Amino acid sequence: MKEPRGAYSWVATVDHKRIGVLYLLTSLFFFVVGGLEALVMRLQLARPNATLVGPDTFNQLFTMHGTTMIFLVVMPALVGFGNYFVPLMIGARDMAFPRLNAMSYWLLPFGGLLLHFSLVAGGAPSAGWFAYAPLTETPFSSTPGTDYWVLALLVLGIGSVSTAINFIATILTLRAPGMSMGRVPLFVWMTFITSILVVLALPVLNAAIVMLLVDRQLDAHFFLASGGGNAVLWQHFFWTFGHPEVYILALPAFGMISEIIPVFSRKPIFGYEFVAASTVAIAILSFGVWAHHMFAVGLGHTADVFFAAGSMLIAVPTGVKIFNWIATMWGGSIHFKTAMLFATAFLVEFVVGGLSGITFAAAPIDWQMTDTYYVVAHFHYVAFGGTAFALLGATYYWFPKMSGRRLSERLGKWNFWLMVVGFNTTFFVQHFLGILGMPRRVFTYPNLPMWGTLNLVSTCGAVMMGIASLLLVVNIGWSLRRGKRAGDNPWNAWTLEWATTSPPPHDNFRQVPPILGRRPLWDILNQAPGSSAAAKAPRPERSFDKGAVAVWTFVASEAGFFLILIAAYVFFNQFGARPAGPSAAGVLDVHKTGAFTICLLTSSFTLWVAEKNLHRKQPRAAAVWLALTLILGGIFIIGQGNEYIGLYQRGIGVATNLFATTFFTLTGFHGLHVTVGLFALALALGLAVSRDFSARAPSLLRAIGIYWHFVDVVWIAVFAIVYLWGIHS
Amino acid sequence: MGLLLSLWRLDPLAIAACIATAVVLVARRTELGPRSILLGSAVVVLVAALASPIGSLAEGYLFSAHMLQHLLLVLVVPPLALLGWPARRGERPAQTARRRLHPLVPWLLGVGAMWLWHEPKLCDAASSSPAVHRVQELSLLAMGTAFWWPVLAPRAGAPLSPLAGILYLFTACVACTLLGIVITFSPVEVCSVFAHPVDRLGVMPLVRDGWGLSPEKDQQVGGLLMWVPACLVYGVGIMGQLARLFAEHDVARQEEPS
Repeated sequence: MKEPRGAYSWVATVDHKRIGVLYLLTSLFFFVVGGLEALVMRLQLARPNATLVGPDTFNQLFTMHGTTMIFLVVMPALVGFGNYFVPLMIGARDMAFPRLNAMSYWLLPFGGLLLHFSLVAGGAPSAGWFAYAPLTETPFSSTPGTDYWVLALLVLGIGSVSTAINFIATILTLRAPGMSMGRVPLFVWMTFITSILVVLALPVLNAAIVMLLVDRQLDAHFFLASGGGNAVLWQHFFWTFGHPEVYILALPAFGMISEIIPVFSRKPIFGYEFVAASTVAIAILSFGVWAHHMFAVGLGHTADVFFAAGSMLIAVPTGVKIFNWIATMWGGSIHFKTAMLFATAFLVEFVVGGLSGITFAAAPIDWQMTDTYYVVAHFHYVAFGGTAFALLGATYYWFPKMSGRRLSERLGKWNFWLMVVGFNTTFFVQHFLGILGMPRRVFTYPNLPMWGTLNLVSTCGAVMMGIASLLLVVNIGWSLRRGKRAGDNPWNAWTLEWATTSPPPHDNFRQVPPILGRRPLWDILNQAPGSSAAAKAPRPERSFDKGAVAVWTFVASEAGFFLILIAAYVFFNQFGARPAGPSAAGVLDVHKTGAFTICLLTSSFTLWVAEKNLHRKQPRAAAVWLALTLILGGIFIIGQGNEYIGLYQRGIGVATNLFATTFFTLTGFHGLHVTVGLFALALALGLAVSRDFSARAPSLLRAIGIYWHFVDVVWIAVFAIVYLWGIHS
Repeated sequence: MGLLLSLWRLDPLAIAACIATAVVLVARRTELGPRSILLGSAVVVLVAALASPIGSLAEGYLFSAHMLQHLLLVLVVPPLALLGWPARRGERPAQTARRRLHPLVPWLLGVGAMWLWHEPKLCDAASSSPAVHRVQELSLLAMGTAFWWPVLAPRAGAPLSPLAGILYLFTACVACTLLGIVITFSPVEVCSVFAHPVDRLGVMPLVRDGWGLSPEKDQQVGGLLMWVPACLVYGVGIMGQLARLFAEHDVARQEEPS
């Protein structure tokens, strides 16, 4: 297939390699933006009592810097490399859903634009990247900055979840023959686990920011104490997302390191199984320890003890990885190319960040250090010294494959040393500043002993990092034109992406080489002539249907979203003091809604019958049952509308009290999902009536079916909790 | 300390389990090995859950002791026993001819074991009546065994594939964590019995003043036990499934070039 050319072909592309490049370029652009924001902050902090920027601008700067770096730089960069290399590494021609992939990408610049549009709409968000309530509520943040922050994160969140679903479907269903889950490169493993984390964690954030938006736009009080709301609930929700997010940012970086270190040490990775399994352990633990971000909130000693212990446990699987990487290097013939230099620096910096992290796991130390520069130092060691260094290493490692030319090693060495020295100069001293008590997020500070000097040192380091970043951009620009030709496999590596040309053709491989183990390219070289490849291949794994995988993954993420909405309802209505004013027992009609519930549940049955009929090649009967499903679903929606109208007539709106707020948010979002399902069903019915309903219809209808049944199951939970439990308890 | 020692008791179920295990070990002429050690530790944990102070305090004194017993009976004893169950001599790997139960059934039993007995009325009944408590213990063991069967069945060829096993355990972990969170943050007592224990054993002064466990704190500890350590057990199970996954694919290992 001929490669399309021109600028428009990049806009219209669904090729995973081009989309990967687009992700990476967008990420680089926002890296420059976020980096400049950081530089302005460092310049302001270089001297005590400086007045380069005022407090409000400073607040906007650190909020935008954090949000940009996490959501617009690191996540897109990881997704970009994943997009480009996961299909290549598993011997696939593209992602499972190329068009969904393009949509996910275009949501990124759109989200970035929404976030930055706040600058001209009255001021950027200024409450920090974790947007603690009640500071983000209207009485305390009256500019629309926070609204844009919420909308941008929703858009980016939808993009991230759809990419994650795409990755999961790709990795589960499109692996070349012989590429079993026990053989895929570790970068693929890490991307897989990260995608699962994204699917489960992002919906929690989405639900929380939707509540924040309801508070801000509809005058509700989820997180506002004045109306009975609870600000700590925001922290619980945010960190339920926020802690897994830390691993979403770190795990793909681990994967990159696990590719780079073996290649430049000329040794296979030590303990492949342990690296993969410890990642799964980290992923599981990451959901159980969010409360360690909240030691200073006052959860009580009992909770602190459990979470401190749980958090310290994470050091075990992480330590396993560090030892694996060191053991891989041990006794290898190490080639310190720039990629390997960054990977080695990653090991050092990440260990520093990990150790300061363990100190935080001890609650008393956390109380002392919380909200000081010690925290800033810690997470920059993890996020920059860890993830960003891995990304830089990956850039030097994979650039030849993407462009066909190598990045200049000479500029690369300058880039590396300036970056490493600059990074440590900037952030190491911040440990001391934190211990001396300098709070984070202050626009300036008094002239206390050492503070001025240490801050000046830190700023000098930041300038060095700025120069290093500039060198990277120069290097990329120069090498694209003048760099040394790379050839197919410049590093003599062994994963599949190096088996094709640089850059790869549109369809990736002319022929996927036989995969007999974890290092296919070495296996080809060392294969004894005449040995039977088939005898050594493991038995084929059960293959999954990509549509089913995608729908089930989507359902899992939606379940997470509803779980948080339900949790908010239960928290405010079933726990402790109930909100004054209307309550479930007072205003809801359980019998009426029960009747509509039966309609909705019956519609699940009719849809099932429709599917059966279609399966038995009886499209006419299927269409009839489908129409019946539509009618039953429609009755449910009308019933819900009727209930809403009744409540409004009695003067009960979203903002009335917390019962009304949580009730309308929960049932409203469910109604929205039913409506979306109705549209999908109508689409299927339209197809059934208008033309031949056989070829793609069964899988389409099955996908809609899974979604529809899921929506019904959610309603069973909602009905049980809101109508049955809520009224009778 | 003496008071705690006096809380050990002769529990018929624990004694029966010891005898039954001894009979099985002798009847199958099992040699001392990893399997018999696992089976032995299952019995030790069972005795600890039933006959030690954990068992005595679980009957209406301490919610956290009840939770510990609950978790040991569902999450620790059954998997150890299944892993350690001695193979019959000359037993062939079971053929997969028989129709298998859908894994959703044991999953629901396992998750149900967590949720069902923490329904306030059932929880109160089990904590105040010794008979109901016995039913609770037995049903927990049974439901726990059913839950772990698909991933740890003592015959060769566990029904669930490793990836399915991971999904099975992970979702169970989520369901269990949710309950842990609810119990931890619930301002209402899950079992009101534990708020006002009838102190026949005379341990409450030690518990309340010596250990500093108020009823609220007690429930919090219980909830946290279910939330954090319970999830670790599922996590260990998931690691086991991963080991199976990698073992399956290790068959075709290649010579490494130097």
